[in-house]
Amino acid sequence: MKRYLFPGALVVLALVYPLLVAGSPVWERLGALVLLGAIGASAWNIVGGYAGQVSVGHSVFFGFGAYSAVVVYTHLGWPPIAGAPLGMVLSVLLAAIIGVPTLRLAGHYFSMATIAVAELVRVLSSTSEFLGGAQGLGGPAMPRTVFDLSFISATPFYYIFLAVLAFLLGLTWWIERGRMGFYLRAIKDSERAARSLGVSSGRYKLYAYMLSGAFTSLAGSLYLCMFGFVDPESGFGILISVKMVVMAALGGAGVLFGPLVGALILVPLEELSNSYLGGRGAGLTFVVYGAIIVIIARFLPSGLLSLFERRPARPPAAKNQPASGHAD
Amino acid sequence: MLIDARNVTKAFGAFRAVDDASVSVEEGDILGLIGPNGAGKSTFFNCLTGDLPVTSGSVSFAGADVTRLPPEARAKLGLARTFQVPLTFESMSVLDNATIGALLRHHTAREARAKARDVLQRVGLGHVTDAPARSLGTPGRKRLEIARALASEPKALLLDEAMAGLTPTEVRDAIELVRRIHGDGITIVIVEHIMEVIVSLAQRVVVFHQGREIARGTPREVTSDPKVIEAYLGRRKVRHA
Repeated sequence: MKRYLFPGALVVLALVYPLLVAGSPVWERLGALVLLGAIGASAWNIVGGYAGQVSVGHSVFFGFGAYSAVVVYTHLGWPPIAGAPLGMVLSVLLAAIIGVPTLRLAGHYFSMATIAVAELVRVLSSTSEFLGGAQGLGGPAMPRTVFDLSFISATPFYYIFLAVLAFLLGLTWWIERGRMGFYLRAIKDSERAARSLGVSSGRYKLYAYMLSGAFTSLAGSLYLCMFGFVDPESGFGILISVKMVVMAALGGAGVLFGPLVGALILVPLEELSNSYLGGRGAGLTFVVYGAIIVIIARFLPSGLLSLFERRPARPPAAKNQPASGHAD
Repeated sequence: MLIDARNVTKAFGAFRAVDDASVSVEEGDILGLIGPNGAGKSTFFNCLTGDLPVTSGSVSFAGADVTRLPPEARAKLGLARTFQVPLTFESMSVLDNATIGALLRHHTAREARAKARDVLQRVGLGHVTDAPARSLGTPGRKRLEIARALASEPKALLLDEAMAGLTPTEVRDAIELVRRIHGDGITIVIVEHIMEVIVSLAQRVVVFHQGREIARGTPREVTSDPKVIEAYLGRRKVRHA
């Protein structure tokens, strides 16, 4: 029972958080932003963490989601959230188109290819009249119906994001325990060995990429619903991709709760630096992320959560020596 | 004929690592592939498994032409292998490593895990199932690779220098293990440097030298073949005073 105590307490805390900070817009907003960051990073984690295919161009899916949401409003007059399924479908198709040629590339080459695609889309989007060009597009200024999700408080977003994150983590947990989870980890460790055991690595990497793209797109749509505005930089900018990677890597890539832990640390940090440094802080964000990348790579290659998982690293011999006198 | 490789050539640019090699393996055989360093054994081996596409020639397995099939498709047909330098899944437990293999023939992770446990027991890793694979030494890793391959329930098991880096005692244990696997009805192809292994295990031996087959026969026949001795030790020079 004891092992459920801590997670249980966290779930309760997550559920009542808005009540605890009620009346403080800054804290309400921060809660929602942490969850949104966690959704994006958790989506990235499927392909980047579990399958080990480090995409640094996931902003392409995020942007697809954000633009899909705003485009259905601008051009069709629909509520932005109605664009979310469209963005997800388009992102799955896009993932297939990008993934088939690029997932054959190993390691860094895959990462570079994803950056190239995202940058290409960013530049194209800034020249597209349909997408509002470099100025971007805005959602409904005044709520028409409740479906426009134009809430004054961030608390409704908090609960929407919490539900989406719970669903995504549940799905990831289910995948992790099944065939696909085993196969993705095998591909990450040694694709050649995985293939020798009958793992269709190309197919599984593509599945992971498509699924990851779909949920990253959903994060983009949710972002638009909350902020009501997207331009090429906030949709397709490389910082969006880097944030997902850094959050997941900080908490633990390929670990279920890794991205959430990363978001819990990085999002408040970013909000803090933005509010204290104002406009001058924008450039500093890159410096902070750069420093974090260096620190993770040097000291914590498996992320923060690996600090709490010392047990599997213990040599197995202890188990065969009943005389050793350890209580556990 | 379980494995039938015909006129296989593998060229890297102008260099022919394997030159027109034809080798066939009957079901239930233990075939040894030997030869000095750089003879093309491993290249040929990788052509059989699909890790390397052949430049020309054909490979068939269990009656199907697999020349153009990727390694995973050959594994599904029942061709399993180990690697010269062990490629165990380092971040996973010993049990999970074997489970990956077992998932090829079992639908759920639960069934696959049961099969994996069974195989680990059989190869002598039953006491370390929960240990991380990275905690094993070389002999353990080699064993784990064999367990993983067996968990995929293969018709043929291809061992690429499975004994390299083992102590003489470990080699004897490994030979014993391969015998038991063969006893379970699995056809074995073994690439090996260590003569003792080949002599005590293989029924038939093919000797490679500079990408070509130079001899074949029983271990006794090939080890006394002058061409084989020359390939390994060089030509005897007779000096006149």
